[in-house]
Amino acid sequence: MSSSSDFSRRNRRTAATAFVAVAGMVGLTFAFVPLYTLICQVTGLGGTPQVAERSDHEVSTQEITVRFDANVDRSLPWDFAPNERSVTVNLGAEYLTSYRSTNLSDEPVTGISTFNVTPIKAAQYFTKIECFCFVEQTLEPGQSVDMPVTFFVDPAILEDELANDVKTITLSYTFYRTLDDIPDEEPEIISQADTVLTTARLGGT
Amino acid sequence: MSTTATHAHDDHHDHAPKGIWRWLNSTNHKDIGTMYLVFSVVAALVGGGMSFLIRLELGEPGIQVFDVVGEMMGSEANQFYNVTVTAHALLMVFFVVMPALIGGFGNWMVPMMIGAPDMAFPRMNNISFWLMPPALVLLVLSAFMGQGAGTGWTLYPPLSGLAGQPDMSVDFAILSLHLAGASSILGATNFITTILNMRAPGMTMHKAPLFVWATLITAVLLLLAMPVLAGALTMLLFDRNFGTAFFDPAGGGDPILWQHLFWFFGHPEVYIMILPAFGIVSHIVSTFSRKPVFGYLGMAYAMASIGLVGFIVWAHHMYTVGMGVNYRAYFVAVTMAIAVPTGIKIFSWIATMWGGSISFKTPMMWSIGFIFLFTVGGVTGVVLANAGMDIAMHDTYYVVAHFHYVLSLGAIFAIFAGFYYWFDKMTGKVYPELAGQFHFWTTFVGVNVLFFPQHFLGLAGMPRRYIDYPDIFAEWNMVSTWGAYVTMASTVFFLVVTFFVMIGGRKSVANPWGDGATTLEWTVDSPAPFHTFEETPDFTGGNPAAHPAE
Repeated sequence: MSSSSDFSRRNRRTAATAFVAVAGMVGLTFAFVPLYTLICQVTGLGGTPQVAERSDHEVSTQEITVRFDANVDRSLPWDFAPNERSVTVNLGAEYLTSYRSTNLSDEPVTGISTFNVTPIKAAQYFTKIECFCFVEQTLEPGQSVDMPVTFFVDPAILEDELANDVKTITLSYTFYRTLDDIPDEEPEIISQADTVLTTARLGGT
Repeated sequence: MSTTATHAHDDHHDHAPKGIWRWLNSTNHKDIGTMYLVFSVVAALVGGGMSFLIRLELGEPGIQVFDVVGEMMGSEANQFYNVTVTAHALLMVFFVVMPALIGGFGNWMVPMMIGAPDMAFPRMNNISFWLMPPALVLLVLSAFMGQGAGTGWTLYPPLSGLAGQPDMSVDFAILSLHLAGASSILGATNFITTILNMRAPGMTMHKAPLFVWATLITAVLLLLAMPVLAGALTMLLFDRNFGTAFFDPAGGGDPILWQHLFWFFGHPEVYIMILPAFGIVSHIVSTFSRKPVFGYLGMAYAMASIGLVGFIVWAHHMYTVGMGVNYRAYFVAVTMAIAVPTGIKIFSWIATMWGGSISFKTPMMWSIGFIFLFTVGGVTGVVLANAGMDIAMHDTYYVVAHFHYVLSLGAIFAIFAGFYYWFDKMTGKVYPELAGQFHFWTTFVGVNVLFFPQHFLGLAGMPRRYIDYPDIFAEWNMVSTWGAYVTMASTVFFLVVTFFVMIGGRKSVANPWGDGATTLEWTVDSPAPFHTFEETPDFTGGNPAAHPAE
């Protein structure tokens, strides 16, 4: 009977459409991974700061306080701290500060840091020009380095009625050991006595 | 030709395969529905037993149950408490509510309600069911592996990553959910095809019974939400075993990404659990009020809009991750908007009863209980939808009370309502009315004593997912555990009565509920014959079941 074969063809077509929808959703799920990073960079979602070549803004007389925070994951045998706790800067002005890292172990260790800005609504106005966080950093045993960060705060924050109440911004870093550097055994921690001070390799834009 | 046809017609009612192969190889929608229901009851006993252990532990301050249980399981008390909470949640969501409402009642009733002889793909239906037992075994095994998966059903990394749960247990749980997800996707495809293509002639979608609508919308939600869970679980599996870093910041990932993906699945998932319940309750309220359901089209499109909006509200589960105020304002607004179609449904059920000739039979009692309890849970849901409130209530027992009111009391009450409503149709036996009423009232009192005090505990600040609590929370926890005793006793009563009714109950008739029952399943014998609607009923002249011949 032709009607019955029409019928089963119609059923197969509906099921095929359903399976295409399933495949599409799986694809979207994986596409969301890079998309999510992009959304964070563009909108400042999750406190993701902006990146720029330089500050093109006029320096405002309005000041804002920026505090510096440092955290180290337990897998990384480093000491990591800001060299200044906080600064007060003019909006639009570039500012250079630094963090110091010291490798406390007896072997070379590579780390990478993540970063964010709070309050989260201020993230889209906090712009980094140079940052040690853009690339991996390798420290020799006992080596100590100063790692610079150059940033400015976009004066447009004053025009955002939801964000112009912000008087203090906290820039926070967490240093992790890079995944391909994680050793099978925990390295031995040596004393901080004979550390050598050098300047960190800089990367990024 | 005519002789074989007559012969087939004579014995087709009882011509079912015999023995174990009838079940292992079954392609019959009623047998598969029965297997889903039995499976759901088995999983409910395991998951319910776990929740009883949790309530025993929380009955008084200190650790008095899980130190013993944990030791028996070779795990530490706190960890095994978390393992139990996780397994309880996953069991109830994936192995109790979904198999009962979708696999059980959906398989049994949807083909009959639309006048189809079976599902569109009977053999795919078989594999849909038989993926579930191995999934259940994997989930139970995950509790026995190493320390067990103590992650909560949300499986948030880094707790669900190698840093939090280093042994294989979480991998077993992930594979279990993969299997259950595959089963759901196949089942959903089957339902969509069946409902779209196999309705009786004349039964347009706008004439299809509301349970059919509910199942269709649920199936679409499953089809779009389950692959997202599967994708996210695959990422987690790779993070744990193959060195990727989707959710690990050390490798450039982000644990919040998991929460977005999980809740993009997780929020539609809660509607997947409740929409079929809406469908069942609509039929029962209409049947026992002897009136057509009030605002039929509004009811159908309310479900569709709940399903649609359910996909764009996910971040209300994660207000505390540090979202900007604009994002929170958006998610508050759309979340509260869902109260509108939900309200349409509640008021339409009440309007269906209004002026009806109501008989308070057991299924009707469970349905009214559902409407009441679901409304309570819905109201606390509107409270929690407010980001400002939720910051304070997040992860407290207020949230636990809220989702147990909509799911444990809402969905489970609808399952019992459907069970009593269709018991005659499925078994051919009459359920003793007095026993059903007794079961309803004891459960109703039990679960309210169990869950209502948890609102107070949450408002007082008691956090969820801890094995112990300060003494100040002792009294309401004690009351809550009394409620668990009552509920447990009621469940045992139900199981015993059901067992005896199944082996020796009175024989029922095709339509035990009278003029109010107007869907096609009431036109066939009770129990429903092995094959039904081999001759397609004709809807072109209206519903043939609307005016019973007698």
